[in-house]
Amino acid sequence: MIIPVRCFSCGKVIASDYVKFVEESKKIRNETGHEPTGEEKSKIMDNLGVDRYCCRRMILSNADLIDEVISYS
Amino acid sequence: MLKIIELKDNFIRFSVDNITPAIANSLRRTLINDIPKLAIENVIFHHGEIRDADGNVYDSSLPLFDEIVASRLGLVPLKTNINMNFRDNCSCGGKGCDLCTVTYSINKLGPGYVYSSDIVPVNNPELTPADPMIPIVELKKGQAMLVTCEAVMGLGKEHAKWQATSGVSYKYHRNFILNKNEIDNWKFFKEKCPKSVIKENDSEIVFTDDIPCNFLSQLFEIDNVKIEEDDTKFIFKFETDSSLKAIDVLSYAIKRIENRFSILMESLSD
Repeated sequence: MIIPVRCFSCGKVIASDYVKFVEESKKIRNETGHEPTGEEKSKIMDNLGVDRYCCRRMILSNADLIDEVISYS
Repeated sequence: MLKIIELKDNFIRFSVDNITPAIANSLRRTLINDIPKLAIENVIFHHGEIRDADGNVYDSSLPLFDEIVASRLGLVPLKTNINMNFRDNCSCGGKGCDLCTVTYSINKLGPGYVYSSDIVPVNNPELTPADPMIPIVELKKGQAMLVTCEAVMGLGKEHAKWQATSGVSYKYHRNFILNKNEIDNWKFFKEKCPKSVIKENDSEIVFTDDIPCNFLSQLFEIDNVKIEEDDTKFIFKFETDSSLKAIDVLSYAIKRIENRFSILMESLSD
């Protein structure tokens, strides 16, 4: 739906990092014309300081569906 | 003895000498559970029409349920004055006063995201959200959010929103002892991890992984490397959610442990 504020396992605030992650991914998409590869995604998260895999899965596995729900509110 | 190895505003790595694993774990649990911190506890939503300065009418319904929005608001880290009172033992008797409660308000007109920077403290201008970029909810055109919230102090054992630290962990101090005659490529490790060398003489070189260095993990795979672990010296690390500084959290936790042990000793002597 919308990115959870904190990592479910460790409690680190990851919502603001997700916003930056989406921006960086968009930049890569515009510059290279392809979806960011696994290595590129990993690098973005390293730069954001998201080291633990519990926090990384929060960002990688999120599906932002609020835009689809919003028209029914 | 406590020695700080690495210190940033919201990250710390330190070593503690001459303690048992039980003490190390009590320090870890105190860091997770027992640090007071401010978090939004009561949220009052304005339901009905919301008007802006020009008289345009907005709808107060949101795409997420109010309960979910309230939960998300609670999880936003707020800058904290650690000396604030808990509501239960405040001089106001639990009614809520400036010593124990901070009031916030959100007034946002759609369309667009409501971010944590839209949470504005009413009476205490320095206690703003520590992270301004957290999306709370999205508003479509014609929707608006008008909310007042109350933040109170709490402890991590009650709810995760009052947990000031994350990733609290510790490990034993560890020595890798390399015999220079048996292992030829010790120079490679010395070159790659110069900070990790703690002792060197003609016949052997000793590394430690107190300061992380990626190449040291290769030492586990080489035969003849003698690995010594010391169960009286611990390397801790943790980060905070930037509501408090890491160093303040650590000094509070140590005082807190001392205090709790003295309460235990008193009750035993009675």
